[in-house]
Amino acid sequence: MNDTPLREIETSESYQVRLEVFEGPLDLLLFLIRKKKIDIHNIPIAVITREYLDYLGREEQINLDREAEFVLMAALLIHIKSQLLLPREQPLTEGEDPRRFLVDQLVEFQRIKAACSILKEREEGQLSLWTREVLPPLPEPGEADLVEVSLFELAESFFVLMKRKEAENFRVVRGKNYSLEEKMKEIVAALEKESVLDFLEYFNRQETLEEAIVSFFSLLELIKVRLVMAVQERLFQTIKVWLRRESQARQ
Amino acid sequence: MAPGLKEIIESLIFVSLEPLSREKIVETLSDYPAAEVEQALQDLIQSTASAERGIAIIQSGGGYVFTTRPEFDPWVRRFLKIDRKSKLSSASLETLSIVAYHQPVTLSEISALRNVDSSYTIKTLLEKKLVKITGRKKSPGNPLIYRTTERFLAYFGLNSLGELPTEEEIAKILGEDRTVEKAPKP
Repeated sequence: MNDTPLREIETSESYQVRLEVFEGPLDLLLFLIRKKKIDIHNIPIAVITREYLDYLGREEQINLDREAEFVLMAALLIHIKSQLLLPREQPLTEGEDPRRFLVDQLVEFQRIKAACSILKEREEGQLSLWTREVLPPLPEPGEADLVEVSLFELAESFFVLMKRKEAENFRVVRGKNYSLEEKMKEIVAALEKESVLDFLEYFNRQETLEEAIVSFFSLLELIKVRLVMAVQERLFQTIKVWLRRESQARQ
Repeated sequence: MAPGLKEIIESLIFVSLEPLSREKIVETLSDYPAAEVEQALQDLIQSTASAERGIAIIQSGGGYVFTTRPEFDPWVRRFLKIDRKSKLSSASLETLSIVAYHQPVTLSEISALRNVDSSYTIKTLLEKKLVKITGRKKSPGNPLIYRTTERFLAYFGLNSLGELPTEEEIAKILGEDRTVEKAPKP
């Protein structure tokens, strides 16, 4: 019984109707050429321009984000027509047809569209085949190219994380305080167990924003007292935290 | 043929992290004559294709991989909790085939061919790792050059760019369109 309302919500969200629209001016032109059964190499510009402007005016089937490009094509069509109308001293030879540029474009675009339809079928077939997803092997700790992280880089990573946390709409559980000392102990304990901590991942596991902030301060404190070492494999990648060997020996 | 060769190859394909190329198989089994390895490979492909199994070996992305059979797609998706795999949008597909056929190609060349600004589309294709930047063109403005990736091949189940739809296949599609147009009206 409880299922029913839930399913309704699901369907209302997942059914996004997207009408067929012409993505670009060439799309629309090709459609008109086909509809009017026009020879692509001998396009009656006046006819096609009228039809084209008609569709443009209706604004229903064109991708409105691309309106400027549709209008540009209309201008090109009118320009071609004017070229054809202008009286000339010498008749045009074949290669000089003002429509040539457009025709070349249309022919190539038509080929691409045909290739697309074949690729689309292939995509369809391919999507029903599943392979095993394998995670790339993790690099060994202590591999080359490790850079010790500056405070700024640490802070930057932290802000990345804060943004993420902010986006999550978690409930705040009141009345829970986090102490720096306990957090530090927790981090050290985690490090002793796992030997290496993934900075972003660790903070992601924190339940609340406060806890995340306290952990960040704890980490800074631990770095300051040289109990741990923070390294980054490459700039802007996640930061890994190790216990310093000396401190391990001391314990 | 050496006994067990077929099964050896099967095990190699199974453990390989990426599509296992023919060269790599031959190289690994260098103690067998290459022709025999080749024969065993063909036998293996054939036997997995005909066997009553949930998986088969296909050639894709320049090598051999195990995949599930297409008819079991609904159950695999249910297991992986994936409603449906998202497909490429028509704008993406268009841009992608332009890159595939015209590579190496620049953004302005792509936009000119489509008559549509394609900077956003190329960005999403870069994110999906279906195209990559391979350098800059030595022309005014030194624009970036785009090419398709290995992932592009695997995505469409192609082994090389040579397997892209050919002129003949394209002409056939265009021809079919024309016959529809010429069909007499009832």
